[in-house]
Amino acid sequence: MADVLIADDSEFMRNLLREILEENHEIVGEVENGVEAVEVFKEQEPDLVMMDIVMPIRDGIEATDEIKTENPGAHVIMCTSVGQEEKMKEAVKAGADGYITKPFQKPSVMEAIQDVVPS
Amino acid sequence: MKVDVQSLGTFNQLAHEGAQEATGSLAQMTGMDAEVDVTKISLVDRQDVGEELGSDAFVGVQFGFEGALAGETVLAFDEASRDTITEALVPGGAADEAMAQSSVEEIGNIMMSGFIDGWADYLGATIDHSPPQYIEREGADILPASVAGERDQIFVFRSQVEWVEETIRFYIYMLPEYDSLTGLLGEHADAESDAIPIEKLETFNRMTRSGTQKAADNLGMMAGLDVSAEVTQISFAPIEDVPKQIGNETYVGTVVEFTGLPSGYLLVLFDEQSAINVAEALMPVDPQEEGLTEQHEAAIEELGNIMTSGFVDGWANVLQQSVDHTPPKLVHDMGQAIIDPLAAQLGQHQRHAFIIDSKMQTDGLAFESEIHALPNEAELREALQELQVDRADQTEADVEQIF
Repeated sequence: MADVLIADDSEFMRNLLREILEENHEIVGEVENGVEAVEVFKEQEPDLVMMDIVMPIRDGIEATDEIKTENPGAHVIMCTSVGQEEKMKEAVKAGADGYITKPFQKPSVMEAIQDVVPS
Repeated sequence: MKVDVQSLGTFNQLAHEGAQEATGSLAQMTGMDAEVDVTKISLVDRQDVGEELGSDAFVGVQFGFEGALAGETVLAFDEASRDTITEALVPGGAADEAMAQSSVEEIGNIMMSGFIDGWADYLGATIDHSPPQYIEREGADILPASVAGERDQIFVFRSQVEWVEETIRFYIYMLPEYDSLTGLLGEHADAESDAIPIEKLETFNRMTRSGTQKAADNLGMMAGLDVSAEVTQISFAPIEDVPKQIGNETYVGTVVEFTGLPSGYLLVLFDEQSAINVAEALMPVDPQEEGLTEQHEAAIEELGNIMTSGFVDGWANVLQQSVDHTPPKLVHDMGQAIIDPLAAQLGQHQRHAFIIDSKMQTDGLAFESEIHALPNEAELREALQELQVDRADQTEADVEQIF
C-alpha cells in the first residue's frame, strides 16, 4: 500500500481517482494546483504523486520539477488529459516516472502505479 | 494553388453584398424589412453541407451559373415563409399552389440575379445563370445534387437572412465548382504575403475532424456512450460576425485560452439538457437535486478539459510543437454572450477570423455538443505554412515510446 498525493484542479477527477485508489492505497492529500502539490509533498512525503498538468497557479510539470529537485527519489505519475508528444517530453525532462492520459480505466491506473511503486 | 486572407475577405464580402442586394430586392417587393445576419465561406466535408437545415421541409429556387465563376446557388425558405412571402406579394395567393410557386420562383430569380451580378462586376466579366428551378425538399436535399461531386471537401458560401419582426429565416447558398473558385482565389492571391496552399487548409480541416473524433471518443469513454463526430468545418468571416456563428440558446460548457502556434480560444458547449444528461452519465450516483447542480458543473468542467485536449493535441503532435491551454473556465450563458468577449479580444489584432466548428452526438442519449475554436488568424496562417501534409495522420503521441 502506497501513500498517494492527488494533485488535480478538478474536484470531479479527484473524486474519481480517490475511488480508484483508496481500495489499495492510502490517500494522504488532495490538492488543486502545483504550489499546493509541492507544499503538501514536503509535509507528507508521500510514496507517489498523481499529478495533473493543466492546473492554475503552477502547472504540474513545474511542480514535478520542483518536487524532483527537492527529492530525486520521489515518484510522480502525470495524470492528464494532455496527449501531446512535446508535453510528454517536458514531463520526462522534469523527472516524471509515468504518464497516464485521461480518460482512463482503473486497470491502466493500477498498472502505471505498479510500474512506478511496485507493491 | 494558394489562397490569401485578403482574397478570402474580398470574396466573403462579395457574397455578403450579394446577399444584401438579394435581400434588398425581396424587402422592396414584399415591404418586409430584412437583413443579412451573417455570411461566411466554409471549407466543409461534402457530406456535411446543409447540416444546419436539419430535416425541416424547405422550398427553394435553384440556379446554375457559369462564366468567370461557375457553380450553383440555392435560395431556401421554410414552407411557412413561402406562404408569408406569397401573401405579401399577392394577397390571398398562398392558397393557390401554382401562384405560390410562381411567386417564389420569380422572387428567387430577381434576388439571385442581384446576388450574382456583384461577382461579375468585381471580376470584370460575365456570369450567366440558368432559369430558376422551383424545388421542395427536406433538409440538405434542397441543395443541388452536384454537391455530391468527387471531392471530399468543398467551399460553400452561406448567408443567413432574417426578417425584422417576422419569424422568417432563409438561406442563400452558393456552391462554386471547386476548380473555378480555387482558380479565382489563386489568381487573386498575393503569393508574396500570406498565401496558404489550399491543400494545407484541406489537410487542417481533416485534422480537425480527427480531433473532433478524438474528443468524441474521450467523451464516449467517460460516459460509456458511442459518440460520433458529425460535422466539422473551417469557416472564414469578419470578426464582427463571429458571435453570430453560435445560436442564442443557453449553453453550458467550458472556455479555454490556448497558447502556442496557433494561440486562441476553444469552447466546448452543451445545451442545458445535454449538459445535465451527459454529466449524469459520468456521475457514479444520481444527484439529489434536479436541474444543473454544482456536481453537474464539476463534471462538465472536467469533461471540457478532456475534450479540449483531445481536440488540440492532434494539432500539436502533427506540428511537433506544444499547445498549452489554461484550466477550463465554466460558462453558462447565452451563446453570443459567451463568445462576444473572445471575439472582441481577437478583434484587437485582426479583421477576419477563421472559425473551426464541430458537432457531435450519440444515439444512446439525448445529447449534442459543439466545439468552436477561434485561433489567432496570423498564427494559424503561420502554423499552416509549417504544416507538413505527409505528417497529417500523426496526431497521436506514443506514451510507451517516451516513458
